[in-house]
Amino acid sequence: MNRMRFVVVYAGLALFGTATGLFAESPQELLARVDAKRYVPDLSFVMQMTSFDGDTQTDSNTLWGFIKGVGARNRSLIAFADPASVKGRKMLMDGNVVYLLFPKTTNPIRLSPLQVLLGQASNGDVVRTGFSEDYDVSSLSETDREGVACYQFALTVKDSRKDASYKKVLLWVEKESLHPIYAEFSTGDKLLKQAFYKDYRPALGKDLPFQVDIRDGENPQSHTIMAYLKVGQKPVPDTVFRRDYLPSWVPEQPR
Amino acid sequence: MKKLPAFLGISMGLLASTVPLHAWDATALLDVLPTAALVQTGSFSPWMQSETTEVTAQVAASHTQPIVEGLSLSGTLWGMADSLPSQSPLSTPPTKIDLQSRILELKLAWEAIPGTLIWDAGKKIIHPSSGFFRTPLNVISHGALGNTANLTGSAVGTWEEGWVGTDVTLLVGSFTVANFFSPRLQWSSDADRALQYLSTQQNDYQNLTRVDLRLGDADVRLLGLLSTGGPGSVDPDLHFTAGAGVDTNIGDAVTVRAEVSARDSQNRSVVASDQPPLAVTTQTVSWAPRALAGFTWTSKDQLSIMAEYYYNGLGFIGDDYARLISYSQTLRSSPGQGPDLLDQFGDFSAARHYGFVRVSGKIDDKLTAAGWTTVNLQDVSGLTGIVLTLTYDKWTVNASFMDAWGNTDTEAGLSPLLWRVDLEVSLFL
Repeated sequence: MNRMRFVVVYAGLALFGTATGLFAESPQELLARVDAKRYVPDLSFVMQMTSFDGDTQTDSNTLWGFIKGVGARNRSLIAFADPASVKGRKMLMDGNVVYLLFPKTTNPIRLSPLQVLLGQASNGDVVRTGFSEDYDVSSLSETDREGVACYQFALTVKDSRKDASYKKVLLWVEKESLHPIYAEFSTGDKLLKQAFYKDYRPALGKDLPFQVDIRDGENPQSHTIMAYLKVGQKPVPDTVFRRDYLPSWVPEQPR
Repeated sequence: MKKLPAFLGISMGLLASTVPLHAWDATALLDVLPTAALVQTGSFSPWMQSETTEVTAQVAASHTQPIVEGLSLSGTLWGMADSLPSQSPLSTPPTKIDLQSRILELKLAWEAIPGTLIWDAGKKIIHPSSGFFRTPLNVISHGALGNTANLTGSAVGTWEEGWVGTDVTLLVGSFTVANFFSPRLQWSSDADRALQYLSTQQNDYQNLTRVDLRLGDADVRLLGLLSTGGPGSVDPDLHFTAGAGVDTNIGDAVTVRAEVSARDSQNRSVVASDQPPLAVTTQTVSWAPRALAGFTWTSKDQLSIMAEYYYNGLGFIGDDYARLISYSQTLRSSPGQGPDLLDQFGDFSAARHYGFVRVSGKIDDKLTAAGWTTVNLQDVSGLTGIVLTLTYDKWTVNASFMDAWGNTDTEAGLSPLLWRVDLEVSLFL
């Protein structure tokens, strides 16, 4: 795709509000291709999640888990493996409904969306975002970010996902590789999170960002680095993403 | 305090023994509990205030061992050394330290159809309730182990023993059905002297059926429990308990929960005479419900407020409650004249209506604080506590304080407990 074509696309968007039907690939389809490049079905992982205040490390957790689906249909099971003070906690994230099971208890606690948003779990929400599943492309342009030629998508949450935490997203995608490299998640008026996608590596037939640095919108000094230590695939039935399965789940490392 | 060195020796030994448990999760707790309570020096002597310090050390070790795909063995062992299990300075353990231990859980879990059909056999804890300060749906519960004070306001203690039985769970779509059967387990008192360190006896056959379903955004829970002591038992009759609960989110900041359970017949002791000579009779109550409704609200500043209301259908109200208070006042001034009736349903549960509020928040990345109060809504007396928790990667420190407040014609005001402090160090190994 050359620059002229995008000028035309952009003009088309401005004139008609949509590019559908004018070109072989609409901005929404391009966004879907960006997602497809890094989407691994039934991803299982070991992840290190480290929080910083400036250069000072404030918290670090190792998580084992797996994810099924993408975007609105995304569900994940997560177990805390380290440090020892939180080891054994298990979490089920089913869209906006999140349950937390503490060790020595048998009934998972239901969390409110705000509790999830305030905790580190919401960073997982950023990592798991399926842009094309959850958002419509409002505008698409070409830009340059730190010397890298990029597509810049302006995204607005779909009507069917009005309960999503982030109403708008600005997304920078490297043109050559279609790797997302930076995103801003906001309410529309207020910047909530910035995400820096780094360390792309081929894994399981896709290109995965092995590190995502997520910064707080109000206080960029406060940030969390989420790094995959190990990834694999584990097909599981839908029923494991039920509250009642959580106590029975025996977490395993990816094979 | 002469007990302390011996106690510390044992507790350090317990702590040290957990260190080499490679691949096991272990938690060790050391609690120091200064307490002020009213005690009697003899059956008919007057009550007097006494301050004591109880020291406890607890260790629990857990492990889950996958055997083959879908089959695993898991268990939790618990042990405790207690310097003052009676919590009365007038009743110390004969051997200076009281030792207890239990197998809390030990079960084989088999996912016969992965994620769909799960079969557990062994010892298991089942707590379907979402309540915090009262738990109507925890219809089979042994209660907290170790007689250790719970100063957090939570109904569920740190450690509890499960029931030996078999549990089958079927998950289909948004629907789950599970059935737990536990047999009656009785043994001789001679055998119990040894087995008490592994397991308590089970007085009844129990069959608990749970149904869980997702309706929209709400989780709905239904349960039915059939239990009987069978031939030769103290209570050979068949009893039925039914329960239902729901929890869901409202908006972004609120979770709500409500649940109710009722048993077909329950006995309670009622006051026949509240003046000397005191007299008590037994009354059977049919289908006295226990119900809980509550919510948790979280602010953007990570402040969390939890409020719950509890209806205790078995508790007393009106003239019956007034007679119970009068009886307890007479018992206070004339000790030994009759049994204590205030705690017959558990701590602070004699009345019909209770409320609970808890406010908690993060002070910084390591320190959290919580304040809570439980109120008897009929006589406006209660328990109030403060909990500070400092959390590091491998250990936490809890400092808790609880105070009972109310006039001498109220439930909390008549409680022998005046105040209690708990300094607790937890090590995670």
